[in-house]
Amino acid sequence: MMESIHDPDDAIAAPATPWGISALAVIRTTGCRCIEKVSTVFKPSDRLKKALGGMAVYGEVFNPADGSPADQVIALVFRAPASYTGQDTVELCCHGGIPSVRKVLDALKAAGFRDAGPGEFTLRAFLNGKVDLTQAEAVNELITAKTRRAHDLAFNRLSGALWKKVDEIKQSLVEVLSALELTLDYPEDEIEEPEEISLPTLSSARGKLQSLLKTYRTGRLFQQGIRLALAGRTNAGKSSLFNLLLREDRAIVSEIHGTTRDYLESWITMNGLPVLLLDTAGLRASDHPVEAEGIRRSEEIIENADLVLYLVDASRGLSAEDREYLEKSTDRVIPVWSKADIAAAEPPEGFLPVSTVTDQGREDLERRIYESVLGTEPLDAAVIDSERQKDCLTRALEALERFIGDVGEGIPLDAASADLKEAVDALGEITGEVTSSDILQRMFSRFCVGK
Amino acid sequence: MDYDALVIGGGHAGIEAALALARLGYSTLLVTQSLDAIGRLSCNPSIGGLSKGNIVREIDALGGEMARLIDRVMIQFRILNLRRGPAVRAFRAQADKFSYSRLAKETLEHQKDLHLFQDTVTDLLLDSSGRVVQGVKTERGNTISARTVVLTTGTFMEGMIFIGEHTAPSGRLGEPAALGLGTALRNLGFTVGRLKTGTPARAAGSSLDYDKMEEQPGDPEILAFSFSGAPVNRPNLPCYITYTNEETHRIIRENIHRSPLYGGKIVGKGPRYCPSIEDKVVRFPDRPRHQVFVEPEGLGTDEVYLNGISSSLPEEVQEKFLRTLPGLENLRIFRPGYAVEYDYLDPRQLFPSLETKRIKGLYVAGQTNGTSGYEEAACQGLMAGINAALALNGREPLILSRAEAYTGVLIDDLVTLGTEEPYRMFTSRAEYRLCLRHDTADLRLTGKGYRVGLQSSEAMERMEKKRQSLEEIRELLKQRTLKEGEIPGLPEGQGGKKLEVLLRNPQVSIADVLPLLPEVRDFSREILECVETDIKYEGYIKRQEQQVRRFEKLESIRIPPDFDYQPLEGMSAESKEKLRLIRPVSLGQASRISGVRSSDIAVLMVLLARRPK
Ligand SMILES: Cc1cc2nc3c(=O)[nH]c(=O)nc-3n(C[C@H](O)[C@H](O)[C@H](O)COP(=O)(O)OP(=O)(O)OC[C@H]3O[C@@H](n4cnc5c(N)ncnc54)[C@H](O)[C@@H]3O)c2cc1C
Ligand SMILES: Nc1nc2c(ncn2[C@@H]2O[C@H](COP(=O)(O)OP(=O)(O)O)[C@@H](O)[C@H]2O)c(=O)[nH]1
Ligand SMILES: [Mg+2]
Repeated sequence: MMESIHDPDDAIAAPATPWGISALAVIRTTGCRCIEKVSTVFKPSDRLKKALGGMAVYGEVFNPADGSPADQVIALVFRAPASYTGQDTVELCCHGGIPSVRKVLDALKAAGFRDAGPGEFTLRAFLNGKVDLTQAEAVNELITAKTRRAHDLAFNRLSGALWKKVDEIKQSLVEVLSALELTLDYPEDEIEEPEEISLPTLSSARGKLQSLLKTYRTGRLFQQGIRLALAGRTNAGKSSLFNLLLREDRAIVSEIHGTTRDYLESWITMNGLPVLLLDTAGLRASDHPVEAEGIRRSEEIIENADLVLYLVDASRGLSAEDREYLEKSTDRVIPVWSKADIAAAEPPEGFLPVSTVTDQGREDLERRIYESVLGTEPLDAAVIDSERQKDCLTRALEALERFIGDVGEGIPLDAASADLKEAVDALGEITGEVTSSDILQRMFSRFCVGK
Repeated sequence: MDYDALVIGGGHAGIEAALALARLGYSTLLVTQSLDAIGRLSCNPSIGGLSKGNIVREIDALGGEMARLIDRVMIQFRILNLRRGPAVRAFRAQADKFSYSRLAKETLEHQKDLHLFQDTVTDLLLDSSGRVVQGVKTERGNTISARTVVLTTGTFMEGMIFIGEHTAPSGRLGEPAALGLGTALRNLGFTVGRLKTGTPARAAGSSLDYDKMEEQPGDPEILAFSFSGAPVNRPNLPCYITYTNEETHRIIRENIHRSPLYGGKIVGKGPRYCPSIEDKVVRFPDRPRHQVFVEPEGLGTDEVYLNGISSSLPEEVQEKFLRTLPGLENLRIFRPGYAVEYDYLDPRQLFPSLETKRIKGLYVAGQTNGTSGYEEAACQGLMAGINAALALNGREPLILSRAEAYTGVLIDDLVTLGTEEPYRMFTSRAEYRLCLRHDTADLRLTGKGYRVGLQSSEAMERMEKKRQSLEEIRELLKQRTLKEGEIPGLPEGQGGKKLEVLLRNPQVSIADVLPLLPEVRDFSREILECVETDIKYEGYIKRQEQQVRRFEKLESIRIPPDFDYQPLEGMSAESKEKLRLIRPVSLGQASRISGVRSSDIAVLMVLLARRPK
């Protein structure tokens, strides 16, 4: 955390809505003397300066160099500490579209703002005690979450589903550790009933850690989405399928082979999972230089995709080229029997019949895509998706496994217990608590010891 | 000024504090209520045990006295937990109580620059600002001035003892309480609380039937706590074990309302880990029996100590339930068990040097800081004495880290977390206990004692020589290869292994390989076993050392003493309040304050990094 920090009082600005075409865009500014600074490029300046927290002021942002207008805006004023960052904040609501956002940002820069770094608003919120560490991570992901489902996952962490789960594992280990420590802290021949180490508790904790760790991939997938490439010979129907999945005519569909010369991409969601759909030029050797370049690019995209839909035109059947590709392919590839409405033959083993004309097989295909990424199990409410959490859980699991191994080998427990302690500490890092005193607490409430 | 330094109280803390100050060349006066009670073992007749034995050896490495005292008066020696791992292995000795106390007094008397004086301190003298200590006032009206004062009042400050319905202002049975000082400290604005502790009855040994008990003998070989190398040649007396039973418990239960604790007379909190028999019976009703250890109080006395059965029930009830124990049927009580309640200072009012934040030059150590135990008291006394001396000399205090000494763990816990019950050391309080083995205390701390001026150059040479020996033996074990069949009784296929590798096997001990290495036969048992432990636990020790390096990062980020938490936006009012109260010296210490969240530490880290250096 420490390394990336600029001065947390600086005035900073950044668009709060994605770059691109939309009706409205929001630019957020915050920092020391933020309201005064915005008002130097805002008309009517005084109204903004005097605005109370929570007020909206309509006006114009202008370029201070030549006085030319940048955009008509509504300025929402938040006064410290009642703002997201805990500092004075102005949110400027301007017209959508890259040119107007650019102009407003330029004006703000002239007024002394600098571009905010990634996560800098949340960092300030954190530094000013507005959010805690896990919340800060989750907020960041709420913002960058690509779909509603991802949003839910990020939100869940705020509400503590993960905290509860981790704490539960931690408590079970603390229980074992305190019994162990107690036994260790009294001479062996002066303890009447030394506590046994509960192996079932340990292995149950191990299982829970493992399954929690597995959710990292899920969390990550919902966070970042997957890359799904459409492959197959030219004219196999890739662009048509692309459009079908996208439900809008974006790719040019044509009967002339090789129309999609470069590639197209678009974000869609399947069952909440963000999917970057990549339409490629097809895999046909070509003399046309532009097209040849497109094919080379296609190969690269297919190579880097998380999942590939390989289309074979059902009216034409499998070619030698198709067979060759499919033979090499892995479980990363879903074979699709396209144009199923005019099929010349039954789909070969493993092929999914789909028609973009009749919509046949679309739902099956979507399900197949989702399941080949996430499996068929229902998703857990507690999902980890930050690198830090994953590291902590991995450390906890490794330490626990070392401990279980050591107990099996009869390694003296005072040495081995350091591993159990490390597991507990690593979990404590996620839930954000110190634990050494927990252990002593537990030791004496449960056991009768002492001369 | 009459003296450079004045120490209040001649208990285990006071002894070490006074000796350290005088040995560092400061004219020192020890004022205590009774010169005959110097170094008295108030409770159990033993020194050492898990983690406590390590503390005794830490005291020795730094140049303190406790190890040398017990080495000369022990009447039984044991190494505990030999079959367990190295971190929980420890020395413990039974002490001849009377000799311990007499030897302590004699040692003080012979110390140059140290004077003893019998009186009771009732108040402190301060300068006109009210923030610097200048001496003390006593019960008999003496005023004694000193540049620094170490307060070690044990269980005596406003002490009150309880035996059933009987109560009396005492610090120990038969010794008057020290009255007045507690009130004076309250008036100065200190937070003073009440704690309680208890002790069991002492009985006539000749009234017991040892045939009905299990014998617990000492080890045949006696080792010294002290690293000085002085030989220990002491008698070896056994202890005995007997058990309570349902009848014992019934009598206690029937009379529980007559206990001052359960009757509500005592407000101070007692230790959970050293419960009275009343506590044990009430809190663990399902336990059919509890162990009781019968320990001699010394040579030349018939008195025995009944360890594990401390009680403050009325005397006749004590006698009645004690007589239900096998071997104790005809027991005659010499002194009854009792509980004592006393004033202690919330140790969060201290810097890690043990100097009070409120009054400059005033140091506090021992039971007064909420601890219990001789060793815990002694190590604090030593550190307070050292730091008071360093301050007189204008030098920085000596603060031991949690990774280098149990003493460091103890003081850090006290000043950072405070305590609500008598604090006793446990190995589990130390995060890095594999690094705090008793047999490495000299390697860890002799140098520090030497730099302070308490350790001799001979001690340094001894320590260096040990270090060399460890390396030498290690080198030999690395080089020498085992021939098949050379050690009888080993499973086949061990031939060709280096001895060092062989020693990692839990079945093989250093004694097994000694016949193959005539070169090392002359090294002491302690040194050989130290090498053995280093090898056997190398992986664990290495990992712990790595953790220590991580831990030291936060420790090394210092928080300036004048750091102002008030303007910090990112912190809850509660955290700020706690940080202002504790005034942690490092980010590491701050991170251990209870209730300060990790996000608060992150905020602090950012701000400290931003501060102009
Ligand atoms: C009843 C009882 C039960 C105990 N139980 C346990 C136990 O279960 N486990 C355990 O580990 N330890 C126990 N101990 C504690 C152990 O005795 C102490 O921890 C240890 O002795 C503390 O050392 P100290 O130097 O702090 O104080 P002490 O050994 O108490 O010495 C304090 C000395 O200071 C003197 N003094 C006090 N006030 C003044 C004054 N104002 N002016 C002049 N002199 C003063 C006193 O006379 C006394 O000599 C018990 C003690 C008692 C009395
Ligand atoms: N009957 C039928 N024709 C299709 C289907 N999908 C695509 N086509 C036609 O096949 C031709 C090639 O389609 P296109 O999507 O451009 O293929 P690409 O080169 O793989 O991208 C077009 O004329 C489409 O109309 C389908 O499911 N059924
Ligand atoms: Mg196409």
